[in-house]
Amino acid sequence: MKAFLGRARRHVGFLVGATLVAIVLATAILSTVWTPHPHDDLRMALKLKPADTTWWLGTDHRGRDVLSRIMVGAQTSIVVGLIAVSIGMAIGVALGAWAAARRGWVDELLSRFGDLVLSMPAVLLAILITSVFGASATNAILAIGIFNIPVFARVTRGAALTLWGRDFVRAAAALGLGPLTITWRHVLPNAAGVLLVQATIQFAVAILAEAGLSYLGLGAQPPVPSWGRMLYDAQTYLYDAPGLAIWPGLAIALTVLGLNMLGDGLRDLLDPRLRPLRVG
Amino acid sequence: MLEFLLRRLATSLVTLLLASLVVFVVLEVLPGDPAQVMLGTEARPDTLAALRAKFGFDRPAPERYLSWIAGLLVFDLGLSHAYGTPVSKLIGDRLVVTLPLGAMALTWATCVALPLGVFAASRRGRPADWLVMGFGQLGISIPNFWFGILLSLTFAVSLRWFPAGGFPGWSPDPLKAVHALVLPALSLSLAEIAILARVTRSSVLDTLREDYIRTARAKGVPERAVLMRHALRNALIPIVTVGGLLAGFLVAGAIIVETVFYLPGLGKLVFDSINNRDLIVIKNIVLLLTGCVLTVNFLIDVVYALLDPRPKVSA
Repeated sequence: MKAFLGRARRHVGFLVGATLVAIVLATAILSTVWTPHPHDDLRMALKLKPADTTWWLGTDHRGRDVLSRIMVGAQTSIVVGLIAVSIGMAIGVALGAWAAARRGWVDELLSRFGDLVLSMPAVLLAILITSVFGASATNAILAIGIFNIPVFARVTRGAALTLWGRDFVRAAAALGLGPLTITWRHVLPNAAGVLLVQATIQFAVAILAEAGLSYLGLGAQPPVPSWGRMLYDAQTYLYDAPGLAIWPGLAIALTVLGLNMLGDGLRDLLDPRLRPLRVG
Repeated sequence: MLEFLLRRLATSLVTLLLASLVVFVVLEVLPGDPAQVMLGTEARPDTLAALRAKFGFDRPAPERYLSWIAGLLVFDLGLSHAYGTPVSKLIGDRLVVTLPLGAMALTWATCVALPLGVFAASRRGRPADWLVMGFGQLGISIPNFWFGILLSLTFAVSLRWFPAGGFPGWSPDPLKAVHALVLPALSLSLAEIAILARVTRSSVLDTLREDYIRTARAKGVPERAVLMRHALRNALIPIVTVGGLLAGFLVAGAIIVETVFYLPGLGKLVFDSINNRDLIVIKNIVLLLTGCVLTVNFLIDVVYALLDPRPKVSA
């Protein structure tokens, strides 16, 4: 741990990524107790105001404070990303570990299932789900979460297959331990690094996907502020208030950039040979 | 070789068939009554019954599924609920926007990413390399629709070089149509450039370690020729693989980017169909796009097998 921190302190990418992510997390937490102005107060008389000392980033087409909405929007992005990645990870890791432990038809079946889901980009899955069950943050989370399952299953399976071939796992099997115990006690702890790196990358992917879905109106519904929807609304006022189209996008880009740099940094620090799976 | 290709083709077809089953179950079985979904909860019972009869929702699900698949085989995709026209015509009309858009984005991405990646590899560890890698990080972090908005803010709203949206059609002036697709294609290609440049860089770096590169250099082959003729050519296999995968995801990106630029393409059709709750159109487009991704993946494997004999053993 000490050695890890020592190397981490010299890894520029990791430090920048960690700082960005920390800022976003802090903003989201702060926004639960304080924002410069109430984020959903409509003040039509003050609509589309440029930035000044009272309204630091200006106001939107309904006179709401843009900075406050971006701060609260961070909550939406983080909650959607966190739950979607947790769903994908919980189910995906279990399936991947099972496939690696059982091999044979279970492995084949799960791999085909993975191909199937991965051949439908997350946006398509979300379209499918929302066109029947309606557009909501919950359905967006579900769509992104389902898309994450095969990603984690694949990464876990790959790591677990290598581990099952290692001497210490074989020794455990020779001692008569069952596949479940071996997976829990020896395989998963040793795959934790890969999974942590992948989780960080998938968090970034999930935030991008959420932004895209709410831009299309398929994510969090008004009045809940979301960065993607703010950009959609801003597009109508490109000529009058171009700033509206800048700040929410910058928030998405910096959050995703931070998570990507953090993920790549973690990979370098934990195991430089790892290459996380990148699918959008 | 032939056996590998046939096996691969069979798996693709099975996956596509499974996908069609998933799409059908999600859209027409899970919601209970698809007619209710299409008309909303306040629809009158007689209109509901009429719609059920018109689209055959009153028939048992397995029968409907089979007749959908049978129709697909002869390109009969049924009628759109919202437009009243055949879905195949709707999709065909939109493809003339989406296909050129995707092709432009992919061409542009390849033209920029390959030289960028080779350049970064040749300057490994130096500032130029850092710059390209930094751009790569940025490129995968910026949402394509925001990049589109920024482009239209700069080149349409401020400079007025390009239209901010809309599509004039291919006739009478095809140049005008291409002009309208420039900004959308650029915003669609950003992430592809970033990913492709990174893959090209690492792939070229891998080949630069090979013995034949050292031999070429020892023979006195100029560095530029070493890079372009030896390193890049041998690095192409992973680049083609990733490029093909990206082509599949361009399709998904197009859905959002077409909305940004108000282009009447497939993405816009999906978007409108969701709002119209036109399940018949959604069903066919989702399957079509999934089919596109699967076809591209299959073609990559074919190219891969032709270029390199090894994968067929492990497949």
